[in-house]
Amino acid sequence: MKYKNIKYTFLSLLAVAALASCSDDDDNTPVVITPTCDDGIMNGDETGVDCGGTCTPCEEAMEPDAPDFTGIYAQVDFMGRPGINTVLSADGDIKDLHNMSIPSEMEATFQAAFEIRLEAYHDVYANILGADPDAVNYEANILGDILNGPMDDGYTNNPVSATVLTTVLANDVLEVAPNLPTTYFNGGSGAPNYDGAVGLTGRTPEDDVIDVSLILLFGGGDGARFSGQDTDDDGMADLPRLTSDGVGLTATLGTTFPYLGAPE
Amino acid sequence: MGLGALALVGGLLVAADHIDAPSAMGTTADIADFYAFEPTEGSDNTVFAVDLQSNVLPDLAYGTFDENVLLEINIDTDNDLVEDLVIQAIPRDGKMYFFGPIAPSETGLNGTIMVDAPLGSVDISAETAIVESTGNGVSLFAGPRQDAFFFDFFQFNKVIGGTAPLGFKPAGDPNSTDDDDETAVDTFDGANTMSIVVELPNSLLGTTTGQNVLGLEVYKTWVTTNVKQ
Repeated sequence: MKYKNIKYTFLSLLAVAALASCSDDDDNTPVVITPTCDDGIMNGDETGVDCGGTCTPCEEAMEPDAPDFTGIYAQVDFMGRPGINTVLSADGDIKDLHNMSIPSEMEATFQAAFEIRLEAYHDVYANILGADPDAVNYEANILGDILNGPMDDGYTNNPVSATVLTTVLANDVLEVAPNLPTTYFNGGSGAPNYDGAVGLTGRTPEDDVIDVSLILLFGGGDGARFSGQDTDDDGMADLPRLTSDGVGLTATLGTTFPYLGAPE
Repeated sequence: MGLGALALVGGLLVAADHIDAPSAMGTTADIADFYAFEPTEGSDNTVFAVDLQSNVLPDLAYGTFDENVLLEINIDTDNDLVEDLVIQAIPRDGKMYFFGPIAPSETGLNGTIMVDAPLGSVDISAETAIVESTGNGVSLFAGPRQDAFFFDFFQFNKVIGGTAPLGFKPAGDPNSTDDDDETAVDTFDGANTMSIVVELPNSLLGTTTGQNVLGLEVYKTWVTTNVKQ
């Protein structure tokens, strides 16, 4: 081989070697990048993909949908027995106060006001009847007969006075018996002996709580004090009808849970 | 809201806490009614049903449980009118979550959700009732129901306003449309409410030393709504 050919051959070989080493340099040296918390790679001090270490803790990042039950909740409304706040609290301020009260404090706060309100209702009817309001007052109700047996003397010894009744009602809780049938109130055999009478063991949707309340508030000694009686036999009512509102259950109920009917 | 708000609904007074007192009236936290009963005679279970909101009058909040409103059923088992146990319910993202019965971390007007005592959860129903039954004999429901309350509410307003000398009206034919204005009408006929119902074995409530005025053994209960502070 002539020397010139060897030289060119060597240069060619060098050129090829140079080209080869350039490509080797591109393949063998890794690209250097800085880890971040949103690069989709578990890197840096992360303990999971893009979480842990200096990033958001992995527990939060993996459970974004767990409900939040934290916080303090303050009472805005209250209910025990039906109709108590409605019927016996005389104005909006008392009603609002009752809704933000607790039962252990209610007797002290509301009993006196409830008794005044009970008498005020009787005064309304005294005025309608043209009678002296001082003469038309709350009359001790049938609870006294149930507790103590019938009285012969106009219930003067009946313990369920306006004070006693409004004390019971001011302690506004709905009682429910674990081991007795549920009865809001049932007068049993009725006047005068009320055999089998029972009540305040719970409240079902069928219980006529309005009629019960009206009887206890306005029904007097036999539960029928103001029942639209015709006292002078002229075919027209002379006393108002206050011991029943005249309506019964209109909604449909179910015999299985949840016991209340589908919406209309 | 003050007494002016009552004027907006025609000066009507409220009944059984339906359409409540001025501050709660017509809000999503308005308690319309509360029932507590044994579901069948001799049952060892107790049912608590709470109605929130009502559509008996227009412009009252109705139709959605508010995630800021915690419902709490309070149960006194030692006759001192302070809650010994609470059952709580609060909606989150289409489900109603229940907690208890458990001694609350604090009694009275303020409270927190007893997250360490979950009772179960149920999808909030639409018209068709979805019921959740848990392994310990508990049934749960939350959704719209008929408002079962019945009262001649409009006549009551006249009675206490002194404009009804004869008092309440006599009962009419329940099957008639009753346009005659002479017989009593249930103001709540056709009304709906948002109900939360829970049935549970009495063993989860335990024994009680409470007594009613007739000397009968009872739990003493009440319901509150509570807004997140």
